[in-house]
Amino acid sequence: MELRICHMYPDVLNLYGDGGNIRCLSQRLRWRGIDASLTRLPIGETAHLAEFDLVFIGGGQDFEQQVLLEDLHRGKDREIRAAVEDGLTFLTICGGYQMLGSYYETHDGQRCDFIGALDLYTVGSHTRMIGNYKFRCGPASGGSLVVGFENHSGKTWLGPGVEPLGQVLAGFGNNGEDGTEGARYRNVFGTYSHGPLLPKNPELCDYILTTALRRKYGSCELAPLDDSAELAAHDEMCEKIHK
Amino acid sequence: MNLRAILAILLCKCLRGISRLLHRGGTAMPGRYALKLCPNLLELLAKDVKTVAITGTNGKTTSARMVEEAFAKEGKSYLSNRSGANLLSGITTEFVMNSSLSGKVNKEYAVIECDEAAARTVFGQLKPKVVVVTNLFRDQLDRYGEVTHTLENIHAGLEKTPGTLLCLNADCSLTSSLALDLPNPAVYFGIDPGAAPSREKPALSDATHCIRCKTEYEYDYISYGHLGGFRCPHCGYSRHAADYAVSDVLELRGSGSRVLMNIRGEKQLVDVNLPAMYNIYNAVGAVAAVTEMGLGVKAAVDALASFHCGFGRMEEFPLGKAGARVMLVKNPAGCNQVIEFLQDIREPFILVACLNDRGADGTDISWIWDADFEGLTKMAERIDSVIVSGDRAGDLRVRIKYAGIDDKQIRVERDYEKLIRWLDTQEKPIYMMPTYTAMLELRQKLVQHCGGTDFWEG
Repeated sequence: MELRICHMYPDVLNLYGDGGNIRCLSQRLRWRGIDASLTRLPIGETAHLAEFDLVFIGGGQDFEQQVLLEDLHRGKDREIRAAVEDGLTFLTICGGYQMLGSYYETHDGQRCDFIGALDLYTVGSHTRMIGNYKFRCGPASGGSLVVGFENHSGKTWLGPGVEPLGQVLAGFGNNGEDGTEGARYRNVFGTYSHGPLLPKNPELCDYILTTALRRKYGSCELAPLDDSAELAAHDEMCEKIHK
Repeated sequence: MNLRAILAILLCKCLRGISRLLHRGGTAMPGRYALKLCPNLLELLAKDVKTVAITGTNGKTTSARMVEEAFAKEGKSYLSNRSGANLLSGITTEFVMNSSLSGKVNKEYAVIECDEAAARTVFGQLKPKVVVVTNLFRDQLDRYGEVTHTLENIHAGLEKTPGTLLCLNADCSLTSSLALDLPNPAVYFGIDPGAAPSREKPALSDATHCIRCKTEYEYDYISYGHLGGFRCPHCGYSRHAADYAVSDVLELRGSGSRVLMNIRGEKQLVDVNLPAMYNIYNAVGAVAAVTEMGLGVKAAVDALASFHCGFGRMEEFPLGKAGARVMLVKNPAGCNQVIEFLQDIREPFILVACLNDRGADGTDISWIWDADFEGLTKMAERIDSVIVSGDRAGDLRVRIKYAGIDDKQIRVERDYEKLIRWLDTQEKPIYMMPTYTAMLELRQKLVQHCGGTDFWEG
């Protein structure tokens, strides 16, 4: 078995240790004897998304955003929309998550058109939502308890066409108001939990891997791994984050 | 000097006296209150002092110590914020402690390390003769924000002091962009092409696109991270020739380096009494600063040969049979440099890594996944054991596991005293890489165990 992983825009969307998620996905496959190939798709390069089983898009700096949008609107946006509808598994984080939505509106009312693959939009705010946080994934996303770190000023609002990835237990999540965190649509997982989301949340990692493997091979049972290190770090943070 | 200023000085000196009676450092707090009383106090005190200020992401403390060594060896009268209190408050405290009640500073020179975010407020008051910018890397995103934001902070500070001479890292496209639109005179330091083997272009770079026109840079060579011979194919922004250049790295040893520098056309053999490539950058920056301050090249070169940094920067402790080195790590670029240094260690060693997530470390520890811990697997047969410690030891254990080190080889030990007692019984050399607040705690315990000085005594 093999999963072909695509890291989209690793040259500009790589702000918060995002590579950790790629390492985690690949390692947890390899430890089970499943092959993992990684293709980096930087700005300016094109590839058919149909050649991949799992696409990762991370968060980035404002500085490169313009370059990125120009590249997206040269046709990648259309391709991403089609791949999402086709059931390709995506993990998108922070800026990458916002980007899958319809648009971003700055706090002074300027609107920036995004990919429009998910029924959600983001509005800039003056508050920085920053810190360790935790949320519980919905039953359709595995139901696990996730600990992470969020750092965003954009508030994301979900439309009726998507489900939240989970419900916030402590912290801000999508907007700090409605208790939702992230988004789930078909096989897309979007979240504000940046950087090393997966290493400390092996259950969620395996759920995403299973989603991708099932799509490709029909059925899939992942062999259990010794997760004592991962779970120790997970539990430690769970206790640290009160509220 | 007005009455407000005199009262502020008096207050600052009293608060410092009380701090020391209570066995505290009192390095920043007294200045903070004094500035509330007299917001431009630093400006009043610094106006007759010839100051060199050092800022940037990595290497500030080491570079400042190198520069300071030259001032000390030359017998110059100078003050310095060697305690590490490098915000407006700490720098002001240092000036007050060297001034009379009437605000007359009794030193001719000042060697000041300045936090890159504080540069915005400090430089306008300090009006340094020379400002060194060591480099700019991603650092503690929750605290500093994006790296371009840090660049803006430094830029805003320099706007208020147009007469200051800039000493800029020629190899850092972010740093050297400061000279593009500021009126300040500038000189450049760097590592010339061919001086050391070019590295691979890193998978993760902090400056991929041109700061002026956002086109992707091309590189002739890379010394590390995004540092090297960069060139924008679109607008032509490119590496400026270095006035102070390392032209050949002759030796890279575990204890120090020997390099050939080209200083405004003159060849100079330089011994740097501190190992690792990144300290060669610090050294050439220090040579530029000392020379531009008017002390001469020889003063700078002599200082580098005898210099000891201490305070957690390659600091040595007589622990165990073979000794320990403490190497502060704060961000991916610095961490990668330390891991690379370890690759040159030929004998088996013990590795201790400590990760905290307090304010001064950055509360977001995501950066450990940007650092190249995979490099440890290349020396796996020489790593006798790995011990992780600190508030976030658990995360570090996971990071090192995913880098490819067997989890069974990784030990978690959160109690520094217990850890130090165990390390003291060991035969093999010990290398410790703590984050900032972990370093402070660890170092305090090491000093108690091995002897040494408190942080404010440096």
